[in-house]
Amino acid sequence: MLIDHKYVHRHEKGFIICHWLNALAFIMLYLTALPLYSKYFHFFYTILSPYTFQILHRTFAVLFIVTPVLSLFLAPKSMKHWAKQIVDVGLDDIKFFIYFPLEALGLHPKGMPKQGFYNAGEKLNSALQICAWFLLVFSGLALWFGGASLSKETMYWMVPLHSAAAGLAFAGFIGHFYLAMFANPDSMRGMKAGNIHIRYAKAHHEAWYEELIARGEISREEAEKAIKENNA
Amino acid sequence: MATEMAMLHDVSRCTGCRACMVACKQWKELPAESTPFDGNLQSHKGLSPKTYNLIKMTERTENDTFHWDFIKFQCMHCAHPACAKGCPKGALHKTESGAVVLNKEKCIGCGYCADNCPFDVPKVDEQTHKSTKCDLCADRIENGMTPACAQTCTARAIDFGKKDDMITLAHSRLNDIKGSFPNAQLYGVDKNGVGGTHMMYILTDSPAVYGLPANPKTNDAIDLWKDIIRPVGQLMGVGAIVGAAGAYALTKAIAKKHKDEKGGKSDAD
Repeated sequence: MLIDHKYVHRHEKGFIICHWLNALAFIMLYLTALPLYSKYFHFFYTILSPYTFQILHRTFAVLFIVTPVLSLFLAPKSMKHWAKQIVDVGLDDIKFFIYFPLEALGLHPKGMPKQGFYNAGEKLNSALQICAWFLLVFSGLALWFGGASLSKETMYWMVPLHSAAAGLAFAGFIGHFYLAMFANPDSMRGMKAGNIHIRYAKAHHEAWYEELIARGEISREEAEKAIKENNA
Repeated sequence: MATEMAMLHDVSRCTGCRACMVACKQWKELPAESTPFDGNLQSHKGLSPKTYNLIKMTERTENDTFHWDFIKFQCMHCAHPACAKGCPKGALHKTESGAVVLNKEKCIGCGYCADNCPFDVPKVDEQTHKSTKCDLCADRIENGMTPACAQTCTARAIDFGKKDDMITLAHSRLNDIKGSFPNAQLYGVDKNGVGGTHMMYILTDSPAVYGLPANPKTNDAIDLWKDIIRPVGQLMGVGAIVGAAGAYALTKAIAKKHKDEKGGKSDAD
């Protein structure tokens, strides 16, 4: 059944909380490292001392590490579903990327394969961010605590690894942020209210839309009625 | 002063008097540190933010012969300093004299220099949050003076002068002591993985005996980070933002064009 005759459930509350905690942690980690990363942001040190930034970086690092662990308790179903989706890769996911550039510009090219709960771009971004998380956490903990126990040869690689992972993660974040905030504002509702308009679900995740109908969670009649009313 | 200088320490002459340590503390206005006695006459376990120069004293027995090895240990002033390459703020630089000097104003205490140094020299002061190390008394050198430690040495175990002269002296001294110390060798004189050092040694035995790395090297990881990963990462960040802004502008333009073509009606998604 649709929520309020037009919305379909997308994300559970625990998953949403952890998403925003992760976003806060990541953004703050990036900002607190920015003056170290680029000389153009050295002026940050006029606001707070370098040492304070280093403490803040470590504080948000703890949040960054804890949040995914917390999500296993607050949203185990969503996390399991997300993991399964990421590894469920097929030909349609590869075809997605051929049509994605035009789709992202609002051109809606014919031939775009139907996407599931997470589209191929979301799966790739998820995989990228998860890999980046592991690299950032491993290298970050080594830089923070590893001096006494890790060999010098290992420690030499931790800064380049941390830097590379941060660069990749930030580029991915910009793409994710742009698509959610500007290209597909309907999708943002999913990460706030926990549901999305059925029109958006059909337009962008049609395979999932069909799955919901097949499972009897929504009826095709109410879905089509909601879409028609929205387009009127 | 444009001449490349170097310091030469002959360990065979060192008596472990530690006058050089006192002179360093005096010139740098560093306080004494109270350190526990742990069965060794060595005064400090290692270099610290208040101790830039240390006489290491190692006791060992080899072939029933007791050895008490002294060595003056401080920044090696590498020709290709890993600390300077690894510094994200450009706070470390190599002077024309060869000294590697830290600019405390630029230093943010991140500790990358400490992580990257193959000799474990720089120490970050937890009170001031700045890195610390010997700077070869760069201020004294600039005024035509000798570094405090070399000036003070009571046993003439520390020489200081033009680099070429020190290299010549090193070879000459090595010949003199080879009879008594068959394993004697020079350290830091030849180009090595750090390009050679401006702190050179005449050792009476292998570097390992003195706790020195046999093949010190500025690790490739540091060059990879500074020359490739960091700039590419910065470019990627800027590229992603510019790309997103461009995509947004293009999307808006396309939507407007479609709207105009459909006579003011917008596309339904």
